[in-house]
Amino acid sequence: MKQPTTTDRRKSGERTPVRERWTAQPPGASDEAVAGAMLRSAALVRPFGAKELAEVGARLRSKERFRPRPLALQLAIASSLVLFGGVLSAAVSHVLRAPSQDRRDLPVAPPASKPVRHASLGSSRPASVISPALPAAEPLSEPTRELPATRPVVMRLNRAVAMRERTEAVAPAPSIEPPLAPPPAAGPSSLAQESRILARAIAELRQEGDAEQALAILDQHRAEFGTNGVLTSEANATRIEALLQLGHHVQALALLDAQSFSATGVGREMLVARAELRADRGRRASALHDFDLLLRADPPADFVTERALYGRAVCRGKAGNWEEARKDFEHYLATFPDGKFADKTRAAMNR
Amino acid sequence: MAEGSSGIPNLDALYRAHAPAVARWAAKLAGPCADVEDLVHEIFLVARRLLPDFRGEAKVTTWLYRITERVALENRRKDRFRRWFSHARRAEIEETISPPHLTPVDELERRQSSETVYRILDRMPDKYRTVIILFELEELSGEEIAALTGLKVATVWVHLHRARERFLAEVRRVSRRST
Repeated sequence: MKQPTTTDRRKSGERTPVRERWTAQPPGASDEAVAGAMLRSAALVRPFGAKELAEVGARLRSKERFRPRPLALQLAIASSLVLFGGVLSAAVSHVLRAPSQDRRDLPVAPPASKPVRHASLGSSRPASVISPALPAAEPLSEPTRELPATRPVVMRLNRAVAMRERTEAVAPAPSIEPPLAPPPAAGPSSLAQESRILARAIAELRQEGDAEQALAILDQHRAEFGTNGVLTSEANATRIEALLQLGHHVQALALLDAQSFSATGVGREMLVARAELRADRGRRASALHDFDLLLRADPPADFVTERALYGRAVCRGKAGNWEEARKDFEHYLATFPDGKFADKTRAAMNR
Repeated sequence: MAEGSSGIPNLDALYRAHAPAVARWAAKLAGPCADVEDLVHEIFLVARRLLPDFRGEAKVTTWLYRITERVALENRRKDRFRRWFSHARRAEIEETISPPHLTPVDELERRQSSETVYRILDRMPDKYRTVIILFELEELSGEEIAALTGLKVATVWVHLHRARERFLAEVRRVSRRST
């Protein structure tokens, strides 16, 4: 007896069996189809690619721990910084303004350097307090004792200004530093080394047909360059090719899942391989997503499109979406009448 | 996998082999507001701390999945708390997960739909939420979910069935409200 398909069951108002994914259902108006469409939209996440892998790996190696601070704490820190900054800048401006006023109001100092030093120490005293009639040395030593004890920051700054004046007085003019020497030239370029390793792996894989040896060389690349290499994505592509040759589909799919590919150029081959592996593992929704990407914008009539058309038709058929599957099969036969899957396509259409 | 002298897998090898899968689990379990890189970092920090106690009684993937589940759960709790203060973080992070091939309108619809899905999922008990996410979003089979979560396969199907019932009820409620 013929098993009822998903479409038959839906027509008779039955629920989808629990083992069938909603996300693999064709679009429709039923609650389950709506739920499937919603879940499909949530299934798209940004792939954790080589760049992210390298960044998090570096953070792990540096043992740095990133913890975003709670907003309340961030606000508290920000406001205290602003407050502290305000107090500091007020103090600095006060200190820098006061000595110059003092100096302007002072009588012409004797050439000895000592009184000048004391003058700056007494800078917080108002200029009017320092009588121009008094001898220079006598009153200038007083103000340091008169400073209020509650202003330690200002006192420290006064001392700092005094120190600066002292050092300016004795220090010779700064010599002009010679420009920094350029960094020493790197030895053999790591890029050259990386490309040599990769070339060996590709030669083993494509010329010698030794995928295991290619994987061993790629492991060496990984050990030397980690995920930070310039050619890491190329190495990953070669690794995927080697894994597929060896029939290690699960590992290949894990690598493919971790990357995003464009539906142009070399990315197309990776995308179609990923779609086929996903479909093979029963992950029809994500497989259909990849096939759709490949077939979206007028693709060239090449082997990748051929595989994508056939793959999408099969996925749609398995999901019970026969109308769309038939369209793909017809499109396939029209474009590739003698294609690799032409016989299977005709058989499927006759069924 | 590379192992240390004591037979314990070392963290570097663990990270290289499993980080992509862990990132996928984390992204889907924690939802669209999560910063996946921070989560993966946190998960492997926990793994590093617990690694000396790992005796190999469970599969490494199962062990890592359980850490991921705990960290993702913790993250959701914190996120709920953070949302009391600000929506900025949510918007900022969602910007970064838009797939490049979608048009802006498609992307907006996808994001809204994804938010609705996670709002519905967040109302479910964790055991149902986890199973429906792993089955529908991560596209794992019942057996694979059982292996990861440590549940019996039959229990996985029961949880999935109940999760779907709740999900459908919420979808109906949402669509009634929107009409």
